[in-house]
Amino acid sequence: MDNYDDENFDDGFDDEALAARVDLKLWRKLFAYARRYPKDLVWLAVCAFTTASMEVTYPLITKWVVDDVDAAYAAGTVISLWPHALAYLACTVTICIAIGGFIWMGGKIRTHVSHDIRRDGFENLQRLSFAFYDYRPVGWLMARMTSDCERLSNILAWGFLDLVWGSTMMLGIAVAMLVMNPKLALVVLAILPLLGWVSARFQRRILSSARRVRATNSRITASFNEAIMGVLTSKAFVREQANLDEFRELTNTMHGASVLNLSQAAVYVPIVITLASLATGLALAIGGLDLLGGAIAIGTLVAFMAYTRHFFDPIEQLGHWFAEMQMAQASAERILSLIETDPAVKDSPDVIEALQRQADAPPRRNYAPDGGAANIRQIELRNVAFAYDPAKPVLKDINLTINRGETVAVVGPTGGGKSTLVNVICRFYEPTAGQVLIDGVDYRNRSLHWLQANLGMVLQNAHVFSGSIMENIRYGRLDASDEEVREAARLAGADEFVRALEKGYDTEAGEGGNRLSAGQKQLVSFARAILADPQILVMDEATSSVDTHTEQRIQRGMANVLAGRIAIVIAHRLSTIRNADRIIVVEEGRITESGTHAELMGRRGHYFELYKRQGLQESSATLSDLEPRPA
Amino acid sequence: MAARQSINLWQLTRGQRLRYAGAIFAMGMTNLFIFGPVLVSGSAIDVIADQDLSHAVPPLLWAASRLSEGAPFAAYLWVAAVVAVTMTAIGGAFLFARGRFAAVASEAIVRNLRERLYDRLHDLEAGFFDTADTGDLVQRASSDVETLRVFLASDVVEIGRAIMLIMCVAPILAWLDVRLAALSLCLMPLLAIGAYLFFARVKDVFQITDESEAAMTATLQENLTGIRVVRAFARQAFEIEKFGARNAEFRNNNRRLIQLMGIYWSTSDLFAMTQIGIVLIAGGLFVLDGSITVGTLFEFMTMVSMVIWPVRQLGRVLTDTGKAVVSLGRINEVLTEAEERAGTIPGEGRARGEIRIENLTFGYDPQRPVLEDVNLHVEVGETLAIVGPPGSGKSSLIRVLLRMYPYQKGSVRIDGWEVAELDRLWLRHQIGVVLQDPFLYSRSIRANLALGRPGAPENELIEACHDAAVHDAIIGFPEGFEAMVGERGVTLSGGQRQRMALARALLKDPPILVLDDSLSAVDTGTERRILDAMRRRKGRQTTLIIAHRLSSVMHADRILVLQEGRVVQLGNHATLAGEPGPYRTLCEIQGALDASIEADTNATGRGNG
Repeated sequence: MDNYDDENFDDGFDDEALAARVDLKLWRKLFAYARRYPKDLVWLAVCAFTTASMEVTYPLITKWVVDDVDAAYAAGTVISLWPHALAYLACTVTICIAIGGFIWMGGKIRTHVSHDIRRDGFENLQRLSFAFYDYRPVGWLMARMTSDCERLSNILAWGFLDLVWGSTMMLGIAVAMLVMNPKLALVVLAILPLLGWVSARFQRRILSSARRVRATNSRITASFNEAIMGVLTSKAFVREQANLDEFRELTNTMHGASVLNLSQAAVYVPIVITLASLATGLALAIGGLDLLGGAIAIGTLVAFMAYTRHFFDPIEQLGHWFAEMQMAQASAERILSLIETDPAVKDSPDVIEALQRQADAPPRRNYAPDGGAANIRQIELRNVAFAYDPAKPVLKDINLTINRGETVAVVGPTGGGKSTLVNVICRFYEPTAGQVLIDGVDYRNRSLHWLQANLGMVLQNAHVFSGSIMENIRYGRLDASDEEVREAARLAGADEFVRALEKGYDTEAGEGGNRLSAGQKQLVSFARAILADPQILVMDEATSSVDTHTEQRIQRGMANVLAGRIAIVIAHRLSTIRNADRIIVVEEGRITESGTHAELMGRRGHYFELYKRQGLQESSATLSDLEPRPA
Repeated sequence: MAARQSINLWQLTRGQRLRYAGAIFAMGMTNLFIFGPVLVSGSAIDVIADQDLSHAVPPLLWAASRLSEGAPFAAYLWVAAVVAVTMTAIGGAFLFARGRFAAVASEAIVRNLRERLYDRLHDLEAGFFDTADTGDLVQRASSDVETLRVFLASDVVEIGRAIMLIMCVAPILAWLDVRLAALSLCLMPLLAIGAYLFFARVKDVFQITDESEAAMTATLQENLTGIRVVRAFARQAFEIEKFGARNAEFRNNNRRLIQLMGIYWSTSDLFAMTQIGIVLIAGGLFVLDGSITVGTLFEFMTMVSMVIWPVRQLGRVLTDTGKAVVSLGRINEVLTEAEERAGTIPGEGRARGEIRIENLTFGYDPQRPVLEDVNLHVEVGETLAIVGPPGSGKSSLIRVLLRMYPYQKGSVRIDGWEVAELDRLWLRHQIGVVLQDPFLYSRSIRANLALGRPGAPENELIEACHDAAVHDAIIGFPEGFEAMVGERGVTLSGGQRQRMALARALLKDPPILVLDDSLSAVDTGTERRILDAMRRRKGRQTTLIIAHRLSSVMHADRILVLQEGRVVQLGNHATLAGEPGPYRTLCEIQGALDASIEADTNATGRGNG
């Protein structure tokens, strides 16, 4: 279970600092997502405008009724209220249609914007190089693509709606009040700046303490997670009470933070109500005096008091959105960084041009989509160096040539650079110095997609997707028939265990393949690589996940699988190493030795020492392989 | 196996009911003080409009007359305005009190609930966790608790508020004018019931939307965790299409949900506005015939619009109550799970470490025993190795010894005490276990090691680390012993984790030490160092070693071979290697391999290997 939480991970975006101001450029960039739906945006604005206008109209109808009724009563005449009722009805029907309309349009914009941001993010994630992933936990990426997207699209749709609605309403009410009685209107308007200031200040604090609540909450969730995952350890070490005591500290923090957050909200509302009542009170007193002096009619006073009650609603909303924009500033920065980061490894302009040329031309046999040869006969690394951080080179001055049909075993201590070497060959990383040549052409002048489409990989921590085993193997070649999938599984030594499963190839692998053992996952991923029929096959062997029996079966099929390909194996098993055409020893980023098993043993060098010391001789047969034999 | 009673919503509030009562009282006062200004303003309007002091509220009139003799109407206006503002401010203070009471009460309940759940998870039998789904459990502890929290913090108060408003407003309105009061409230039940029915109906759409969001998130997560596979097979286009479908489906469902909400809000607004319209027109007619004043109409209009929005919310809140009940049910399922049984403590101090197992039969499912008729006696200070294929019952034996599971037949005794009757905490203090895939807490290395014995002296800590061959690795981290384990700190390899767990168990210095396949990820050279250290410590504790490698077990005092839950061989290396059986077969395979390596080394090494 993913235990990531944003609040406690430092990704270089400082929420507090970013919330200090609203960067309009950033929001304009994001608002471009909403502008892709211009018609809906216009309708949203129209509906919001209509709603606000109707809300401004209601007190006028009230005024109309009150004035007419008051006058008629005073004069002792009887009048019909039908016109008033019809006007009210028309107003009501209009506002309800407008409300339905803005929710309809806002819903469309809100969901489409989050969909589009997510789509762009996802597509860029498929392009970004591994270096981008190295520093970002999956949870970080997930948070951007889920909650951040939702949060920003809420601001873009509903914030925009409230901006139009709120400004229309405040402007409308202000105008109506000014027209009816300028003196009274100015008195009410005087409260406005004060209320705006209070709103912005409070909303910010409330959101800020809400974030503390969230941070603590994710620590509580992590704590529960740890309690469940580590329950055997906790029991074995009799940690129950100590764990609970620590958990209590956490719940105490949570209690304090939550009560603070709720109390802030509880202070805010009464302050707004009281300030608004100040306006109503002033309207009553000053308006009453005018009424007394005959300067205004009674309906005007009633309408005025209704206006003062509604005048401040938008302030609350706008204050909320302004604070939310401040707080979401960091989310906006993060997601834009994800969408706008340029992949470090990508096709050069020349290659892109070549790809386009070839796409227009009729397809030619033996030619790759970028116009180069489709077959890979040789890969050469020439003075290759690589460093994530210039001060700490991982690979130094690597020279290596591998021809088609050759199997190279890479051995060496953990952290020596074996995996990085393989990643550079596969162009997941590009060398920081030197060149990788495919048949004499620098691979940066070839199509990235073409190279990687000709790649088959079996990783040490074999990743299996949810879905059936059939689907998982077919991931290697999407158009493979069921029979071809089974054949690949047979070659990989997976067929036997798969058929023994309840539903055979249709068995669900579970989330992350969790219904399969580590060894079974390896076999499935091996079959997947075989099915891909790649020109370059890369394998990272695991030491202990496959039992001896299965390993022997794999070994028998291996010769067939490796034939005619460029094969690179990060090897641990003796049998693989012995059967390789060449063994290279990678230590501290350099190739220190290269040759066949016999040659290297004879040299009595690093390989010999490693062979003795590093447990390469580790028996493949273990006591757990002792299957009960029939007596 | 005591099961506890489940709790319902009412019992949940125990200990906080006084605060809730306070919140409800404060809310009543709020209503009183917030409606006050409406009445005050209404009467003031009448006083001014009719120039008639008989509409005035007597205390205000008295205050006005004391303030100014000459202009009674103007003075009355100012007094009314000041009183209205003051009353609102006091009402606001009560509003704050209400919020504060509700916050403290709900947070206290939730804290209590969280702690109970947490405590509970530690008390449950180990068997519970075999079948439980971690994600689901965490969800119960987080999102279900959150649902309850929202319910307790705001929904309870919302329901109370709507009911109180109706209860306060209805009598006031009836007192003002019975006919208009009836007309003012006529659509409200319809509004509340309609809202309730609507939310009950769209529950499915909520669920479908949640599910499509979950599907989208799962696809995303799979892509990101498997990004290396995606790249290795250049499947970007396939992945984009797959995610695109999920992304669009979530968008469409979510949009449908919002549109349904749009229908709800606009329809309910239609009801609400119509209700206010009825009051306006009917009230206007009543003013015309002189049965009410304009001020009363103003009061009606204001109060109805104050009540109608909370009533509209009531339907939604009632549906949330349904959700809260479901969440509480899920939490109750955890709280009522069987907990571990208590036992007796045989006395203060340390056990000697003698283990005697007689005719033990055990199965996680009693119908399918994984251990059958096991007999074994381990002397104090002896080292016993246990070997056997996967599923032969090695780890189960350890779990039974730790009293993680109850056994069906036979007896397991430590120092002559039956394990099933022992206090589990005492028992586990006597045993140090190192598991194959050990769990380390995301704290500092020191804190993880100290788990074995909090407050252990530094020299013993270092000694344990040396014996577990992990000291150099720890010193190698920039922060050394203070380095954090996990995502925010150092990532440990499988072998390092195992050695760390071993050091933790050694530091505990228990009478019985159990290594459950806990050197599997350690390379052979390091393993040798650890085994040497273990030999030096020999006699300090009884040791059980479950292992796969011959090198790990051959030096044990005795070796136990398990197959299909039965003991098939028991003896020292020399004896077992000498008699036909699985142990000798293993030695032969291993021997053949060693010989081949030997030959290899010699052939190429020209004699000096």
